[in-house]
Amino acid sequence: MSQSPSVVRFKGLGPGFWPVTAVLALLSIANAWYFLYGNIDWIMPGSSVPVTDRASDIDGLFKFMAVFGNGIMIFVAGYVIYFAIVFRARSTDSPDTVGVQIHDAPKLELWWTVLPTLLLILLTALSINVWYKIYFGTKAPALTMEVVGHQFYFEFRYPGLKTSVFSKTEPMHLPVGVPVRLLITSTDVIHQFWVPEIRLKAAAVPGLVQNLNFTPLRAGTYDIACSEFCGPDHSLMRGKLVIEPVAAFNKWLDTENKAAAAGGGALNLAGGSAAAGKALFAQKCAACHNNPPTPFDQKLVGPGLLHITDDPAHPTLVTGKTPTPEHIAEILQNGFTGPIGQMPNRQANGLSDKDIANAVAYLISLK
Amino acid sequence: MHTGTSTTHDTHDAHDHIHPPPEGFVRKYVFSLDHKVIGFQYFFTGLLIMFIAGSFAELVRLQLTDPNGAIMSHTAYNEMFTMHGTAMVWLVLIPLVTGALGNFVMPLQIGARDVAFPWLNMASFWILPLAALILFSSMLWGGPHAGWTEYPPISLADGTAGALWCLAIFTIGISSTMTGLNFMVTIMKMRAPGMTWTRMPLFIWATFATALMNMVATVALSVAVGALFLEHVFNVPFYDAARGGSAVLYQHMFWFYSHPAVYIFIIPAFGVVSEVLPTFARKPIFGYKMIAFSSMAISILAFTVWMHHMFPSGIAPWLQLPFMILTYAIGIPTGIKIFSWMATIWGGRIHFTSSMLYALGFLITFTFGGITGVFLASVPVDLHMHGTVFVVGHFHYVVAGGAVMGFLAAIPYWYPKATGRMLNERLAQLGFWLFFIGLNGTFLPMHWLGLEGMPRRTATYAGFAKAFPDAVFWNQFETAFSFLMAASIGLLAINVIWSLRHGTLAGINPWGARTLEWTISSPPPYYNFKKIPQVFGRPYDFDQPLPYRNTDNELDEFPEFGRVLMPIPQPVGAGA
Repeated sequence: MSQSPSVVRFKGLGPGFWPVTAVLALLSIANAWYFLYGNIDWIMPGSSVPVTDRASDIDGLFKFMAVFGNGIMIFVAGYVIYFAIVFRARSTDSPDTVGVQIHDAPKLELWWTVLPTLLLILLTALSINVWYKIYFGTKAPALTMEVVGHQFYFEFRYPGLKTSVFSKTEPMHLPVGVPVRLLITSTDVIHQFWVPEIRLKAAAVPGLVQNLNFTPLRAGTYDIACSEFCGPDHSLMRGKLVIEPVAAFNKWLDTENKAAAAGGGALNLAGGSAAAGKALFAQKCAACHNNPPTPFDQKLVGPGLLHITDDPAHPTLVTGKTPTPEHIAEILQNGFTGPIGQMPNRQANGLSDKDIANAVAYLISLK
Repeated sequence: MHTGTSTTHDTHDAHDHIHPPPEGFVRKYVFSLDHKVIGFQYFFTGLLIMFIAGSFAELVRLQLTDPNGAIMSHTAYNEMFTMHGTAMVWLVLIPLVTGALGNFVMPLQIGARDVAFPWLNMASFWILPLAALILFSSMLWGGPHAGWTEYPPISLADGTAGALWCLAIFTIGISSTMTGLNFMVTIMKMRAPGMTWTRMPLFIWATFATALMNMVATVALSVAVGALFLEHVFNVPFYDAARGGSAVLYQHMFWFYSHPAVYIFIIPAFGVVSEVLPTFARKPIFGYKMIAFSSMAISILAFTVWMHHMFPSGIAPWLQLPFMILTYAIGIPTGIKIFSWMATIWGGRIHFTSSMLYALGFLITFTFGGITGVFLASVPVDLHMHGTVFVVGHFHYVVAGGAVMGFLAAIPYWYPKATGRMLNERLAQLGFWLFFIGLNGTFLPMHWLGLEGMPRRTATYAGFAKAFPDAVFWNQFETAFSFLMAASIGLLAINVIWSLRHGTLAGINPWGARTLEWTISSPPPYYNFKKIPQVFGRPYDFDQPLPYRNTDNELDEFPEFGRVLMPIPQPVGAGA
């Protein structure tokens, strides 16, 4: 085998290399133009009119990456396909036809190491700038509120609001133009608070408080989603966020406070039906309290409720109050937090006034 | 005591003889010590489990054809995606790319007769079916539900099934560690004389980098799931915040393993592509040293980036920065690799075998997955993308478009060596197009769905579909394309079995390839090399004679150790 192999020959970088490069460059420019000036709401919701100040920062970073990332992708895929076509084996080849026998090209390799490195350094600088704004850019938030994750709803606690707002029954409200800080935590498992239009998310972790800072800019109604798997009904853990002008927001707070005050006194326990209460118990209470009801110490998650009114060992309720129908109704309305455990309130459990009356009638009938 | 008077009683002589193959079915095919048989065992076990785990994925996809959930309850859906992920990662990908490919190819490529510790190798394999048995038996207790990550506290609700999940992962971890150790020692100590580090085929570099990660990282996973097991069974509150534990602690240990784990599947695929591209482009690999170096760089950097999985999960903001920067740093060696592969096919003479198609497809899909990884590495952008199906899309471009594509390139490439027969090329090429189109159709729409607001791991998405009505169309679109991928894997299985008996005979070197395994007969004899060959050059110089001496194997194939030739006519369509 002394004959030399037949090495392929071609001019320059290959037939049509520069025209192909020009086409790929045009495609990249078109991509850049589209991401910078086109309407990409179908990719990033609400990007044409940013919903928060941080959303516009993050979108800027996203667009930068889409311009360069997609550009690189266009060149890689384009050249791979072009090389595959131009440098394909021909049927006239002999068995020892080989390609150009080169092993490296140090200058070229230096370029394709240095240029991506510079691009990544630039990207790092831009990312740090936005990162700083997200975590340290809001010096004095005008509204600091708490978001608590529960299986499978969010609880929103506002300063100056006596009761919590629950994502199952009511939207979260935020005022336009006011810097807000959300303090985020959880009482059971890990959840994640995410509003796609705000762009930010933070995990709600038991035993940990994280914060998100931003200023809402655009009024509207947006979806809230839990984005960390949190149990069987994770996919149903959603809510609404209403961003509204300050006046409307304050009016809403006022209405909430009045409703809370009214809700406390106006409950009529008289017409409760023990039979309806029994059905309700099986449906809404049995997840945490044994059904049929057992004595106090036979706990499931919460205590057994069999002798709630006549247990000599426990003459008072967990709240320390006497077991009157009114005091039992109080727990059903407000929920309970104590050493023995936690119980969600009526909004979280989805209890109407009638439901509470029925449940109380059932509970006091247990002997 | 060596007297120094005789050179024939060299200490190597004790090993330089050929053992007779074992007698009897059990020692030959079941408890075999032969690395090639063990490679087959990993291959068929992995492929079988891939069918099970793949069908779970199809059920997941079917469920999502209807925003309210088409076929099953939330709980069943949660179990399906958890089992899909767990089985694919630990029982399919790692066994296939390290166990099957590493075992079969690595000793042949370095000119060794077996791995360093054959008994350990056999034990590593037999742990796999045991772990599979434990994992799948957990489904009798309701199965795990918390995703393949099994984050506590939610995973503690899984009870017995969750404890069995921990046990299965712990068990398979032992196998990974042992394989890693075994391969490292084999590569360091058993290379044929003259095969210096810079003369090793790039697949060996990749296997070495993988073995390093397997050996070092798996321990962290074992600790994480070990502690989770104790919490399940003995209620030890490692991860319970109410009793002084930390839920985030698990995530740190889990990702300290699981980020390198992604590279454990992808780096062998890099190795495969680095073998396939030069062979079918009839060109030396471009930038050998940079590709080898970048494999090692990636495997070491892999240990420094785990918190990028946890940007919104409860770590201090300042801690996000070093992890963002180090993650970007991985982009540099990865970019070098991709550009070097592109330069390898430039100016080549490309033969479109099914193997080559997969390798070219890999260049496109893996690059896409790599670029979306850079998006996710940026803390602010990740705060939007984390936990959405964008991440699912990115991950599957890397794993299905990278690791699995690389693996699928390896099957037609080494199948002739392993069995002595060619795969049916037409069927294999059809398989490529089904897989490539199916993959893009399944995972591309996930990127905009995720950005629009679709969280991952949701059994239903009626709420999201109300905000973004196109979601229903795109999910149905994804489901339809996912079946193309399934069909491709089905075709592969048929092809692999059919060709065992009906494929055309391969001969010693059907691809005109240049690494050592192509100098011995197909399938290789029990002892691989009658005499240990000597290496005196680099593996990829297609215009040079083969750089091996002492091969004595079937010399007629390489008269005067001449250049290897590309068989003409092309193998395309051969065997049909």
